[in-house]
Amino acid sequence: MDIPWAKIHGAATHLPLALAGCSWLFDAAGFALARRPAGPQLNVVGYWTMLLAGLGTFPAVASGLIMTKGEMLGSDLVRFHHLFVWPAFALLVGLATWRAIVGTTTRRRVFAGYLAVSFTAAVLVAGAGYWGGEMLLGN
Amino acid sequence: MNRELKALGAGILTSGLALGGAFVFGKALQQQARADSHQLPPPAVSGQGSPPMSTPEMVAAGRKLFLNSCAHCHGVDARGDEGPDLHDLQMSDRHIVSVIKTGFKDEMPSFAKKHSDAEISEILAYVRSLKDDPPPADAAP
Repeated sequence: MDIPWAKIHGAATHLPLALAGCSWLFDAAGFALARRPAGPQLNVVGYWTMLLAGLGTFPAVASGLIMTKGEMLGSDLVRFHHLFVWPAFALLVGLATWRAIVGTTTRRRVFAGYLAVSFTAAVLVAGAGYWGGEMLLGN
Repeated sequence: MNRELKALGAGILTSGLALGGAFVFGKALQQQARADSHQLPPPAVSGQGSPPMSTPEMVAAGRKLFLNSCAHCHGVDARGDEGPDLHDLQMSDRHIVSVIKTGFKDEMPSFAKKHSDAEISEILAYVRSLKDDPPPADAAP
């Protein structure tokens, strides 16, 4: 039986893609509304979405590697895709680990740094998604 | 503060482990793909499975070009030798054309100067037609 790895990869990648962006949005809103009752609750959502995004990167990367028979850099569109994928993968796993240990929120200055890095991760994973889409669906 | 620094160390360590694991997994998949490559007699040319715009003539012309330029690395049956198996490529036509034109650094040369766009389209038509090739006999369960 042929396993449709391209479809599985496409499905798997949308989880971290969406969750990384959502996590940043919830955390940024929680940061901005820190003195209001909703602030900490928004950070709880940001916490769990980041943990799920970090976990979601593993099936996404594994299915991509299987689909391409172990291609890790390549050229042209694949290279563009991978230049975003690997930093995004490393950042999301690292951020999820950091967040799992630190908790839903921490000192304001440290959390601002976390927001900057998680924004970078969200942009990188979006870039990876864009080039991945160009590879499979581009004309 | 201490907890945040410990968490930073753990995050960096986990990132490194994840990247290392992905690298090892990728290498293992590459080795498996090489081991799975076979050299078989050339398949019968067929227009089935080719892109909608291709014709049996394009597929046949593409096969001739393939044998001259690509079979050396991908095998006469396109099931891979030094280069990968080209059956059931899960990538867009544009990307396949781009790979033929650009190549891979240290792995595959560029064919942009050797073949015209029309010839590359014929090679693409042939590569797409491979999807319906039966698998090698020794690959059956």
